[in-house]
Amino acid sequence: MTPEAIVAIIASGLVSGSLYALMASGLSLVWGTVRMFNFAHGALVMIGAYSGWYISNRGGLAKVLQPIGRNIANNSEDWGLIGDILHPLGEWILSIKAGFGLLLGVPLAIIFCGIAGYVIYIFLVKPFVGKPGADLVVIITTIAGASFMQNGVQVIFGPRYKQLDRILKGPPVEILDTAIGLQEVLIIVLTPVTLLLLNLFLKRSKLGLAIRAVAQNDDFARLVGINVNQIYPLTFVVSSMLAGLAGLMLGGLFFILPTMGSEPLLRAFVVVVFGGLGSLPGTIIGAYVIGLIEQSSAYVFSLYWAPVVLFATLILVLIFRPRGLMGGENS
Amino acid sequence: MMHFLDAYKKPLALVGIIIFLAIPLVVENKLLIHLAILGMLYAIVASNWDLTLGYAGVFNFAHLAFFGIGAYTSGILTVKLGISPWLGIPCGAVTAALASIIVSIPAIRLRGIYVALLTFACSQLVLLLLLSQPLITGGQQGLTGVPQLQIGDFLFRESKYAHFYLVGLLLLCSTVFLRRLVSSDFGLSLIALRDFEEYAVARGIPLARQRLLAFLFSSIFPGLAGGVYAHFLIVASPDIFGFSLATLLLSMVLVGGVATIYGPVVIGVVMTYVSELMASSAWMSDVFGVSRGPVRFMFVAVLIVLTMRFFPQGVWGLVNQFSARSLQAKNTTVEDPA
Repeated sequence: MTPEAIVAIIASGLVSGSLYALMASGLSLVWGTVRMFNFAHGALVMIGAYSGWYISNRGGLAKVLQPIGRNIANNSEDWGLIGDILHPLGEWILSIKAGFGLLLGVPLAIIFCGIAGYVIYIFLVKPFVGKPGADLVVIITTIAGASFMQNGVQVIFGPRYKQLDRILKGPPVEILDTAIGLQEVLIIVLTPVTLLLLNLFLKRSKLGLAIRAVAQNDDFARLVGINVNQIYPLTFVVSSMLAGLAGLMLGGLFFILPTMGSEPLLRAFVVVVFGGLGSLPGTIIGAYVIGLIEQSSAYVFSLYWAPVVLFATLILVLIFRPRGLMGGENS
Repeated sequence: MMHFLDAYKKPLALVGIIIFLAIPLVVENKLLIHLAILGMLYAIVASNWDLTLGYAGVFNFAHLAFFGIGAYTSGILTVKLGISPWLGIPCGAVTAALASIIVSIPAIRLRGIYVALLTFACSQLVLLLLLSQPLITGGQQGLTGVPQLQIGDFLFRESKYAHFYLVGLLLLCSTVFLRRLVSSDFGLSLIALRDFEEYAVARGIPLARQRLLAFLFSSIFPGLAGGVYAHFLIVASPDIFGFSLATLLLSMVLVGGVATIYGPVVIGVVMTYVSELMASSAWMSDVFGVSRGPVRFMFVAVLIVLTMRFFPQGVWGLVNQFSARSLQAKNTTVEDPA
């Protein structure tokens, strides 16, 4: 193995590891707190990418708004006082022909994913919380939800592939003669920052502490006055926002299509099982380990065999350490 | 109604079979016959899924892999080795049974969510293995050129009856097999393990063996159905392992009624009709614009969630409930004067 190859493997391993870490930490957070497994998590990744594209791209929301903007700008003089107020709005809409840009697209897409996560919780999870066998029922309902979102997006956006603009444009960074794209570098740097912020939120903020309290013992959390019925949806919202961020990153690297979330979701399953369900540090370490294993086995064997190696690893871990490599007794 | 069914079981079954035999004689539309065959194949897979999912209470996500393995085994044997399809189809059942044993050995050691994850991973592993050998399996495009069924010079595809009666017979055998199984001691022991595991084990029911057998018994008919499916459509496609088909079949089990066998059989055929007709009818395209295919899967998804929310016992469960209530009412009226 040449040093160039090693750098390339590490770089691509860190990129996939980052994406898996963002997805799996959300899954793990929900499992730890609500004791449910969200199979619609991959669809949320896809929703993040599509909503980011819709807001930022010229072919999305901007295109839909143009006729409205033109209507306001041309006719507002006849509308009296309201027209005077609306006129600048029409001019403004006309000026954003090229889309709202990623500066607005990224935060709005993440917020939208948070809302989607809340909707998923209300319709697919909440009615079953506390009933016997709820964890299995929720698997079924969230699979149905994922299928609904995938097919719904296909109805709305059609089968044609989309792509997000790259956030950073410029020549790739060269490390030991290996070129690494700026988008990749951004993902590698931004993910640990996000996870650090998540950690701070969970350890320092009142809501984060409440989430951890519910995760450890929801009966006692109730006793000290935490409203568990608010913490459950909050966990879904946080986890969905992480999934949305992963989708925005993925959408800048590859094409956006309705099924784009399924493959990373499967990897995220491997990660959470590998790291131990409900253990956040285990999940994050597991994500990077899995990313590196996947990329190096793609190099050593072939692109086809890498996922086979991955799933064989997962099955072996499940047989010999079903609670994961770092999972505790109660996870 | 159920007790009426119970009392006149044999004549009713006979009437049902006669009506069934007459269907292709009366129905002229080739699409409807085609859908009936497809629906019966899905009904076989769904009702066998009910054995592990409903009776054993094991969340088995690898079930469609047994169907897929049956399809691919028979397809590969006939295309690559030139074996007769009539030998290939039983071979598919054998490999599906072997696969079910391999999956169940780690699965019976685990509980709850971990079983779901493991079986899910196993089914994806099968798919990835198939995709990794495009020379043998045809990769992403699927295995094409699978020979059609024939006896001597008689080609099954030329006649509209042949596939219908073959698959109907298979469905009948599968249903009788499953009903006998679940009402036997074995079936009762599965229910006992599902409802009160500790007590059942304490009473001496071997947990590991019964669960392994449940996996094994639930894989045989899907394996056979998979083989017939491949020869019927003359292709074995990796779509079998996809989310969409899994959701559709899951909806058959759930809407039909978990742990009933009859429910998934009946609703399996009905759902196939409904979803395929939705995909091909003109009004759907007028209402929803360009694409119709995706809309039916959205419909199926909504149906699943509504069923889980409001009728977790499914259609057949509702029928049972009503008949039990009417019987109760009848009994009380009889007892009251006394």
